[in-house]
Amino acid sequence: MAEHTKKVYLQPIPVRIWHWLNALGIVTLAVSGAQIRFPEYITLLGSYKSAIYLHNTAGFVVALSFTLWFFYYVFIARSMANIYVPKAEDLKTGLLRQAKFYFLTYFLGWENPHHPTPKNKFNPMQKSAYLAIMFVLMPLVSLTGIFLTNVEPLRGVIVMMGGLKILMSVHFLLACCLIAFLPTHVYLTTLGRTPMEHIKTMWTGWEDEIDVAEEDEGRVALH
Amino acid sequence: MNRSYPDKVLLVAFLWALLLAPCPLMAMESEDCLMCHGDADMVSGSLVIEPRTFDTTAHAILGCVVCHDAIGDDHPGGSTKTSRATCLDCHDSLGHEYQMTTHAAYASCGDCHNPHEARGMKEMAGYDMNTKCVQCHESQMMVEIHKEWLPQADLHIAKLPCITCHTGSQRYEIVLNIVAKENDRIFSRYELPDYQTLKEVSDGRDILSLIDTSGDDFISIKELRHFNLNPEYKELRLEGTLVPSDVSHQLSTLDNRYDCTFCHVSGPQSLQTSFLAIPKQDGGYRRVAVEQGAVLDAVYGTPDFYMIGTTRSASMNIIGLLIISGGLVMPVGHGLLRFLTRKNRQH
Ligand code: HEC
Ligand code: HEC
Ligand code: HEC
Ligand code: HEC
Ligand code: HEC
Ligand code: HEC
Ligand code: HEM
Repeated sequence: MAEHTKKVYLQPIPVRIWHWLNALGIVTLAVSGAQIRFPEYITLLGSYKSAIYLHNTAGFVVALSFTLWFFYYVFIARSMANIYVPKAEDLKTGLLRQAKFYFLTYFLGWENPHHPTPKNKFNPMQKSAYLAIMFVLMPLVSLTGIFLTNVEPLRGVIVMMGGLKILMSVHFLLACCLIAFLPTHVYLTTLGRTPMEHIKTMWTGWEDEIDVAEEDEGRVALH
Repeated sequence: MNRSYPDKVLLVAFLWALLLAPCPLMAMESEDCLMCHGDADMVSGSLVIEPRTFDTTAHAILGCVVCHDAIGDDHPGGSTKTSRATCLDCHDSLGHEYQMTTHAAYASCGDCHNPHEARGMKEMAGYDMNTKCVQCHESQMMVEIHKEWLPQADLHIAKLPCITCHTGSQRYEIVLNIVAKENDRIFSRYELPDYQTLKEVSDGRDILSLIDTSGDDFISIKELRHFNLNPEYKELRLEGTLVPSDVSHQLSTLDNRYDCTFCHVSGPQSLQTSFLAIPKQDGGYRRVAVEQGAVLDAVYGTPDFYMIGTTRSASMNIIGLLIISGGLVMPVGHGLLRFLTRKNRQH
């Protein structure tokens, strides 16, 4: 490492555990879900029954790890609002600035205008996207999933919501949104200085930071 | 009707023999017997035969004395016990199929059927077929037994006739039933309403007219949608179930019922075909054909009937595919420009 680089501890352990459990869980859910919906074309996971049991288990794991994530940010780090909710200026100027970077200046070789710190991890576009994923998509998919595994006891509520088919369609379309998020998300994580930079950070927790001036009092280790 | 050919010959021969033979017993008509046996004041307990029910069953055409041919002249006095035909006399092949099963040791025809209330499978709503089984196999207990290998056992036991799985029939079909809110509570359960209740909802008109607005004895998807969206019928829903297409008394389980995809796979023509069961005054049901593919309709054909893997709708699949393709725009589009401008980023 060069003298002036220092490392920032960006992704604490609970976030990393949640993240990889979640990633594994979502991929499993997508594959087993595909087999459950299209059993005559997809038989990757063996029998139909095993696909169902796997899907239910993965759903359970994802819901659990979601809870871990939620509790960590709300009660331990107490930084949920700060990290995930876009601020007024993020919406007014930040989004545009970040979009300009992704779709224009990035190709010209300019630096990312956003520098992640533990207290301000995400750029305005990440904030908005993650907010939608974590506060709308994930809870709704999990909730509809819980309903679908308890159709008989919850029949009355399901009818109130418009019926089993509405519930099923919501679950399916939201799941498609999550699946669509995957390639976009994975691709965007390769936009660091090196393609693996962010992914390594998500694994080790540490990110290289060059700009000393923008530092804040977060946990920083100088090299 | 799935009675085998030899069975029919047997029946017809039997009936003709009775008609042609100069049989003095025929003098006593069903009405005569029912004068006493249809009147709870004259006889009691199991001796009472509800005339209105009997008249609508498949056995009504036979009349009492065909099955009770040896009856004392001084009936009900005297010491001669009235004879009773056995089911096997007429239902030969179905009866023998049953006699060959292990279950024959546990229950006889009479344990499941009352000869005076016999109804064919096509005259039943579906779940009511289970009233026979639950006399001996209690529902909650069955959920426990099936849970060991069947996901969502409670749902399966609640929604399917036992004989859809415990049958020799290789095919099944969909029957839709009108169900009504049990009470005023918001999360009330839905139950099969009886004829009277539905008659009140339809203001005394034919119950079928609730759904079949065109009156052509055929239910189109448009009519289903109209019914499902009609705020007037908010308390009514359509539930679906699968019933075997062929009558069979092979109650022990076929191996392929362990394989969920026997039912949970799209494609078998049987799932395109569905019927609506309309309650009749006599407690039976009649089936009305429903337009092909109604249960596959995205949302409003049958909003409460969905079988994973089977009744997925094609339009939802297309929307889903579009969403997923949307997720590839960034990696493909951005990735291409990124590749083309890679020189700009070589510091
Ligand atoms: C006059 C009234 C009356 C008529 C008509 C009548 N029954 Fe009965 N039946 C009775 C009564 C009363 C009993 C109960 C007798 C007893 O408990 O000993 C009875 C008993 C029976 C029983 C059960 C006892 C047994 O004999 O096995 C059968 C079966 C039966 N009736 C069949 C018939 C049939 C079939 C007809 C018409 C062909 C008929 N009954 C006509 C009054 C009647
Ligand atoms: C398809 C044949 C069949 C017809 C038709 C039929 N029965 Fe029966 N009936 C039986 C059989 C079989 C039994 C014996 C049932 C049992 O033991 O559970 C029986 C039993 C009875 C009993 C005695 C019930 C008891 O608890 O012992 C009466 C009474 C009776 N029938 C009257 C009638 C009358 C009246 C009619 C005409 C309205 C009639 N049956 C028509 C087959 C028939
Ligand atoms: C005397 C002959 C005879 C006897 C005995 C008899 N049945 Fe039947 N059964 C018939 C006839 C005839 C039909 C009407 C068949 C048809 O509509 O094709 C019928 C129809 C039925 C049906 C309705 C099936 C349908 O196609 O609608 C059932 C259920 C049934 N019988 C059960 C029994 C049982 C149980 C017994 C014994 C208690 C029995 N039957 C005894 C002649 C008999
Ligand atoms: C374990 C319960 C059980 C036993 C025992 C049983 N059945 Fe059935 N049977 C059913 C059920 C369930 C149906 C389908 C629903 C209905 O029609 O009632 C049925 C239907 C029938 C039908 C109507 C078929 C049709 O065409 O719709 C006949 C006839 C019949 N059974 C005859 C018999 C005879 C004869 C015996 C004795 C050998 C017998 N059953 C024993 C349960 C039983
Ligand atoms: C008169 C009581 C009685 C009725 C009615 C009855 N059963 Fe049974 N059944 C038994 C008994 C007793 C056993 C053996 C003990 C056990 O396994 O619970 C049995 C066993 C079974 C078995 C497992 C053994 C085998 O044959 O493979 C099946 C499956 C079954 N019943 C299905 C049914 C269905 C479906 C119905 C309704 C159409 C029905 N039973 C109605 C008494 C009954
Ligand atoms: C989804 C299909 C399905 C339905 C619906 C279903 N069963 Fe079964 N049932 C099975 C299969 C498959 C087995 C064999 C399980 C085994 O041997 O472990 C079985 C086993 C049984 C057994 C025997 C259990 C034992 O100890 O071996 C009984 C009794 C039974 N079923 C009764 C019923 C009754 C009664 C109903 C209706 C309330 C019913 N089943 C509904 C598929 C079904
Ligand atoms: C195998 C697939 C995945 C890879 C390789 C991956 C990679 C990464 C990386 C490198 C980060 C770091 C932050 C960034 O630069 O954006 C990250 C963060 C994040 N990822 Fe993923 N991810 C995957 C799957 C998922 C899935 C399936 C979801 C949600 C459904 C998800 C949701 C998130 C969220 C919300 C963050 C922000 C985490 C935080 O709170 O710090 N990821 N991911």
